[in-house]
Amino acid sequence: MSKIMTVDVLSSIKGAQPSEAVNKLFEVIKNANTTNNNAFNKNHDNAVSLDTLRDDVVMDSSQIEKQIIIENFPKEKNGYLVVSKVIEE
Amino acid sequence: MDSQIHKIHQQLVNKNITCTALVQERLDALKQNTNNTVNSLLDTSALDLAAKVDAKIANGETIGLLEGIPFGIKDVYMVQGTLTTASSDLLKNYKAAYTATAIQKLLDAGAIPLVKENCDSFGHGSSSENTIFGAVKNAINPDLVGGGSSGGSAVNVAKDYTVFSIGGDTGGSVRQPAGYNNVYGLKPTYGRISRYGLMAYASSTDCVGPIAKSIEDIRIVLNVMSGKDGKDQTTYASAEISQDAISTSESIKTVGYFKNFIETDAIDGQVKSDFLAAIEKIKAKGIQVKALDFFESETLVSTYYTLAMAETASNLSRLDGTNYGNRIEGHNLIDSYAVTRSENFSEETKRRIVGGNQVLSQGFSDEIYLKGLNLRDQISENFEKDFKEVDIIISPVTPSTPPKIGDSLKDPLAMYLSDAYTVGFSLGQLPTLTVPQGTATGLQITAAKNNDELVLKFANFLKDTI
Repeated sequence: MSKIMTVDVLSSIKGAQPSEAVNKLFEVIKNANTTNNNAFNKNHDNAVSLDTLRDDVVMDSSQIEKQIIIENFPKEKNGYLVVSKVIEE
Repeated sequence: MDSQIHKIHQQLVNKNITCTALVQERLDALKQNTNNTVNSLLDTSALDLAAKVDAKIANGETIGLLEGIPFGIKDVYMVQGTLTTASSDLLKNYKAAYTATAIQKLLDAGAIPLVKENCDSFGHGSSSENTIFGAVKNAINPDLVGGGSSGGSAVNVAKDYTVFSIGGDTGGSVRQPAGYNNVYGLKPTYGRISRYGLMAYASSTDCVGPIAKSIEDIRIVLNVMSGKDGKDQTTYASAEISQDAISTSESIKTVGYFKNFIETDAIDGQVKSDFLAAIEKIKAKGIQVKALDFFESETLVSTYYTLAMAETASNLSRLDGTNYGNRIEGHNLIDSYAVTRSENFSEETKRRIVGGNQVLSQGFSDEIYLKGLNLRDQISENFEKDFKEVDIIISPVTPSTPPKIGDSLKDPLAMYLSDAYTVGFSLGQLPTLTVPQGTATGLQITAAKNNDELVLKFANFLKDTI
């Protein structure tokens, strides 16, 4: 099932509209000549090879890190961190 | 040798000054400054660190070269316990829980952070006007913009408020403000310095970059911050660049420049003639200069912004006020996201997020985003071809002198196009240094990937040549 989503919904920004200045940039791309080469990222391939993947390690956060994360949480009530009301659509 | 770091180090070691007096003097200057460069001062921690350096010196202990050297940090880097706002309403009360790798390395070397510096919000801008802390004013003429997005960092260095500052460069955000304020600013090869703890704008071109008043200071700071980091898997191991290695330029035989950067109506007449005069001086030293073909400026700017907007739309989708940030409650979770983001992002940030979601959405991605990636490949291939013919490419930093404060906000397209000379090198992930010479806004020196050493070497040569 497909549902058309407008840019304001995609961006979670109320009333957002595409801008004229940005559309002008996109027009340049649409009209540019491209090669038929579909091998993207050939020259800027920053992916890590399988041999050099780092190991999965569980790192415990320091006490101060945990404390700051809690301080940054926007809302707290009776010792609990509160999120916005979640509804099912 | 011009090096603030060496000079201050000697003064500390010889006990001509105390670190506390040095730090206090710079903090006072920052506090009183009217250029809007400061988002927050780290005064208590800086003075504590300075006292420790003084105690070490008093005890006759040896101090490292960077120990006690005051520096600034663009307010997009995590430094544990400090406000890290990205110059945005959304994060105006956000405290970093950890410290960025690049900054941690400087702290480990003993450098003392004084200030979180004003910039365009999330790096979105070329003027440091898209900020909740007031437009950054140019160090040379305060009616003009400080450049961006690392405007506060460049102005602080130019004004001697910091010895060096750490900016971030995605499409020119270190090089352009360095040029606008007549200081050095380096965008290293992508991956040379870890991005861990740098707030992501466009991850495929984001680079950590030092701003300083001398090539030697850039070299010292670059060496300290470089290296492989398990927390950023795009990083690579690089060799330290020695002072000797960049002192002679004998290996540089051929220099190129892009014809179409110069043969265009968009370039200011004075910038053009100054650039061509610099070329003549280089030729007079026996270096061969080649005029090279390159992509049109409009194509470069459009490719960069298409990809950067797509990446920033994705990167900033995490900023919804749920776990941190200035949450504004709506009727429900989805509404809370939308209200929080609508109220807390700058107009420029919203423009870029919307643009990014446009190109990533079904029906547009093929004809814009994927085509942008294809163009980026062609641009990179072009660079590879060029660096088979020349050792170095030089270019102006900007087509014109800095705009007046207020002008860039009125015309976003003109602001995007003013990045014409910097964005190409970002797409190519190439090391590029702004030097405060040659034109009113300096010159850029670029070398092939991973050849940051050659860039610094040529900068030393230019210093004695023009």
